[in-house]
Amino acid sequence: MTRPHHLLRFYLAHERAILGLAALLALLVCWEGLGRGWWADLLSPLIGRAADALRLKPIFVSSPSAVAAAAWSLFWVTGKIWPHLAASGLELLIGLALSILVGVPLGLVCGRYRLLSHAVAPFVSALNATPQVALLPLVVLWIGTGLGARVFIIFLLTVLPLFINAHAAVRTTDPRLVTVARSFAATEWFMFRSVIAPSAIPFLLAGLRLAIGRGMIGIVVGELYGGATGVGFMINRAGALFETDVVFVGVFAIVAAGLVLTEGVRRIEISVSAWRAPIEGA
Amino acid sequence: MSPRLESFLVGGTTFVAFLLLWQTTVSLGLIDPLFVSSPTRIWLASRSLLDDPDFWRDVGVSANEFATGYLAAIAVAIPLGLVVGWYRRAHYLLGPFIDAMNAVPRVTFLPIIVVWFGIGLWSKFAVVFLGAVIPIIISTQAGVRASEARFLRVARSFGASQLMIFSSIVLPGTVPFIFTGLKYAAGRALLGVVVGELYASTAGLGHMIAEAGNTFQTDVLFFGVLLFTATGLVTTGILDRIEKRFERWRPQPAGTR
Repeated sequence: MTRPHHLLRFYLAHERAILGLAALLALLVCWEGLGRGWWADLLSPLIGRAADALRLKPIFVSSPSAVAAAAWSLFWVTGKIWPHLAASGLELLIGLALSILVGVPLGLVCGRYRLLSHAVAPFVSALNATPQVALLPLVVLWIGTGLGARVFIIFLLTVLPLFINAHAAVRTTDPRLVTVARSFAATEWFMFRSVIAPSAIPFLLAGLRLAIGRGMIGIVVGELYGGATGVGFMINRAGALFETDVVFVGVFAIVAAGLVLTEGVRRIEISVSAWRAPIEGA
Repeated sequence: MSPRLESFLVGGTTFVAFLLLWQTTVSLGLIDPLFVSSPTRIWLASRSLLDDPDFWRDVGVSANEFATGYLAAIAVAIPLGLVVGWYRRAHYLLGPFIDAMNAVPRVTFLPIIVVWFGIGLWSKFAVVFLGAVIPIIISTQAGVRASEARFLRVARSFGASQLMIFSSIVLPGTVPFIFTGLKYAAGRALLGVVVGELYASTAGLGHMIAEAGNTFQTDVLFFGVLLFTATGLVTTGILDRIEKRFERWRPQPAGTR
């Protein structure tokens, strides 16, 4: 008598996780079934030869088990994925570092000096409206298809969110703090270091999170277009060789890297804003 | 001087100065135009391209890819976003997939999309669709969730039906969110067109850019990139217009103009 009641209570308490997992499992089973022809076998007594449409070649859909096996082999048996991960990681690191070095100071300075902000505005909005990857053939023309080109395309994709957020951060610095600092004859350097920078950090980290997402696009696109290492290159070559399972391993590796990096930045965001008084009390 | 005018004057001056600098360094032979082209060369290239039927074919192909993929994404994403935002269980079921898809650059799927759909139009429709559909779903569902709780309580206490609550409170409140998603998605869709065509294609503006790069026609390349910039600006402009029209009923908060 009480058993179903308990079960129902358990279900309601964990509804979100249960439904999420159920949907995930359903997808995996459907996918595995497509790869192995389960659905065709199941439906052929009912609809006859029409069921053969569900018998897809493994090169088209692969299957969760094949992807898992490929992942196991790429990571732990042959270890072939590690050099690709290292190459892509290096590109992202250099590209992001350049973006931070250029975008953040420029954004801060433009946020503080109105004329400069007006002066760069046309270039910023033009670059913002352009899908920056369209410049890839030009970048390749300038610096070839090596590491430099890929770093440059990552830079182009990631510099804007950092610039825009740094710019916005200065604009939203509490004007009372700026006024107080100025009336105590603060130097510009002091103003940047002690008034603007602390209040800008959450914005900058939010910009960094956006930039990481864009950087992932840069990795994939830069490597699809040229080059001989990197996860994007691995995906591209596997696609050309119809190794669909390897393609999915690469895609999942990029998803995982993106999630880990953005989550890391989010953690930092929380920890650096811990000293801040809650907004509600202000 | 009004801030708008100041911004226009200063921005315009630096922009013109930039063009002049570009033109003179090339004219004086300081930089090889093969690599950077020059404003006049781009202008001449654009004149001859506009008379070229092949160019118009490329424009047609890219426009078709963009429009079809983007409109299909809108048709799917807005209803789906409303459902996922409104029904808790639908969110539990689909949320993980939407979040996971949001975490990947969808262009990553390009190699597999090409295996499935070939290098023709269909693979571009797919990549444009995938790029655009996720941001619209996400912002639409966020809009539904952000419905003003006070309004919902008032409506419920007056015995409004679910349908009435949905159509007269939730939907109007969601419109700005939908437009945010649409604008963002337009950028993603454009990215899909470019990457899809750079990666594998036989026609389209991305194809034209790639080929111009391979044959050192930097002027054609720049013109192609500028066309994409213009498309981005025009699409956002149109969406802003439509949004204003939808939002006309909304009373302006005090103190804003």
